[in-house]
Amino acid sequence: MASVSLRKLEKSYGSLRIVKGVDLEIADGEFVVFVGPSGCGKSTTLRMVAGLESISGGEIRIGEKVVNRLPPRERDIAMVFQDYALYPHKTVRENMGFSLKVHGVPAREADVRINEAAEMLGISHLLERRPGQLSGGQRQRVAMGRAIVRRPKVFLFDEPLSNLDAKLRGQVRTEIKRLHQQIGTTIIYVTHDQVEAMTLADRIVILKGGDIEQVGTPDEVYNRPQSVFVGGFVGSPAMNFAKAKVEAGCLAFADGNKLRLEAVRAGRETGVEGRDVVVGIRPEHFGTAADPAAVLVARVQVVEPLGSDTLVHFAVGGDVLTARMPPEMRPEPGSEFRIGVDPTKIHLFDAASERVIN
Amino acid sequence: MSTTSTLNAASSADRGPPAWTRWLDLGDRALAVVLLAPAAILLALIIVYPVLRLGYTSFFSLSLTSGLPAEFVGLENYSLMLEDPVFWETTWNTVLITLITVPGALLVGLALALLANLPFGVQWPVRLSLLIPWALPLSFAGLIFAWFFHSEYGVVNDVLNRLGFEGIIWFNSPNWAFAAICLTIIWKTSSFMALIILAGLQTIPRSLYEAADVDGAGRVRQFFEITLPLLKPSIVVALIFRTITALQTFDIPYMMTGGGPGTSTATLAMYIHQNTVSFLDLGYGSALAVVMFALSMCVTAVYLRAIRTKE
Repeated sequence: MASVSLRKLEKSYGSLRIVKGVDLEIADGEFVVFVGPSGCGKSTTLRMVAGLESISGGEIRIGEKVVNRLPPRERDIAMVFQDYALYPHKTVRENMGFSLKVHGVPAREADVRINEAAEMLGISHLLERRPGQLSGGQRQRVAMGRAIVRRPKVFLFDEPLSNLDAKLRGQVRTEIKRLHQQIGTTIIYVTHDQVEAMTLADRIVILKGGDIEQVGTPDEVYNRPQSVFVGGFVGSPAMNFAKAKVEAGCLAFADGNKLRLEAVRAGRETGVEGRDVVVGIRPEHFGTAADPAAVLVARVQVVEPLGSDTLVHFAVGGDVLTARMPPEMRPEPGSEFRIGVDPTKIHLFDAASERVIN
Repeated sequence: MSTTSTLNAASSADRGPPAWTRWLDLGDRALAVVLLAPAAILLALIIVYPVLRLGYTSFFSLSLTSGLPAEFVGLENYSLMLEDPVFWETTWNTVLITLITVPGALLVGLALALLANLPFGVQWPVRLSLLIPWALPLSFAGLIFAWFFHSEYGVVNDVLNRLGFEGIIWFNSPNWAFAAICLTIIWKTSSFMALIILAGLQTIPRSLYEAADVDGAGRVRQFFEITLPLLKPSIVVALIFRTITALQTFDIPYMMTGGGPGTSTATLAMYIHQNTVSFLDLGYGSALAVVMFALSMCVTAVYLRAIRTKE
């Protein structure tokens, strides 16, 4: 087990900068998830840690050792690939044992380790099969098994669930989490799925355009997004955004709706008077209109009953917002609708920089 | 009125497509037969019939130069063959060429394919230089190499001289002539091997090599543990094609030595050609061709069996 530290890590292809100076300290035993839209540099960063991509600048340490120029085999890492990369002509046992064979681990010990890992993953009965005879979920487990038998310092996962169907994805996700609790090895995990990131991570690293947008625990990135991007990326349905202007202590929307700023800011007041802002509200933070200071009047556009709750889409100041309401709420489309907001859960972002206003 | 006509139109639409297309409505089996028929008929005309006709002719004494009518002689052509030293020599030459040039082309082709699969910045010159020997007509290759190995003006002897060796009179000695022919065949056919193997190489996902990198395997180990096993199907296909064409070797020795000195570099195909086209002895030539056909079938059967047991 080991910590991993990235310092000013960069990757460019010619003049195209893919990763623009990433700084990150990953503690020993931590489960860190890199998340972001495609092209944000998350996979490239992971592959640089693995040694599968050369680095253009900066430094990577695994434990105390700088590994910048070391080939993958000397980094003591194990990786689970998106397409699993199982050797099709080898049996499951041979796949899992290949690295042990290469490293000259005695056959008897290798067998013990393979059987142990297979048992942990529930694939003991598949050991003599070839990957072609396995289902997607089973292959995924074999790929994890191949990583586990190595007992590496760091596990790297590159979008390991993206080839599985939704149900299986949830199941394997739980297994990965259990696995981490069981073996406690440092894990770096890449995904584009924010649900995976939220459920698995000790800490989430949100990347955008080759830069870190925010690093924090799942609670932190959900409750205190530092930018419009993070707010919109984390949470499902996504956070609502509406343009507004701060006027006379109120958030004024284009259609005349107003929210009292003092309620919103809960006394954490700084000079925002007269500024253009983006107001961020999560769908789950709307409610019935209890506090008259925090009520929006809007026209209902679409109502989507989900059973457990109802999604109500409505327009405020030219932006369409979504509220997650109790299932018994069924406002008529086209009708006028008074909807309450939890004022302590409103986020304010600067309209120009899209960064949070504190 | 209009309501009735609409109803009529609707009910006729319900009855499905017009009657004249009804014959298309065949069962699966009949449809399969209809769809396969053109190819089957074509194959029957250009392959099955000639082969059967060949077998039939081989039981006759039929020499156009004798002016005699065809006479049924049973297996006489075959018994003549067994006593014919030239048949044995040319068959042995053919087998030897196969045994030397097929593995030779496989090794050179594998090396070329690995080379061509390297991540060159510009791919087309590499691919083109692989394609050219393959695209060149066999007889041209034979002519070109006949000049390369020419004892006075050939580039091979020139190089030998410059390196301080004495030039070789290639086509005067059976062994040297044979060597020159084999080298030429290997040059000519290894690019075909390389193309098939290159196609196979490109189906191996890059992530397998990355996984092997992470697993700690070096380049040599990766070649033997990943590349070679995954190339097996492509290699078998290349070997089948190459072995069958090797058994039919004709053009290159024909252009380079004409089978000489003596008949020391003549192949079975050349001997068939000589008997049928030059001597117009169709009966004996057919019997020889039947033997060559049987030889090709045996080799194919062996390869196919090898693939099947592997599966």
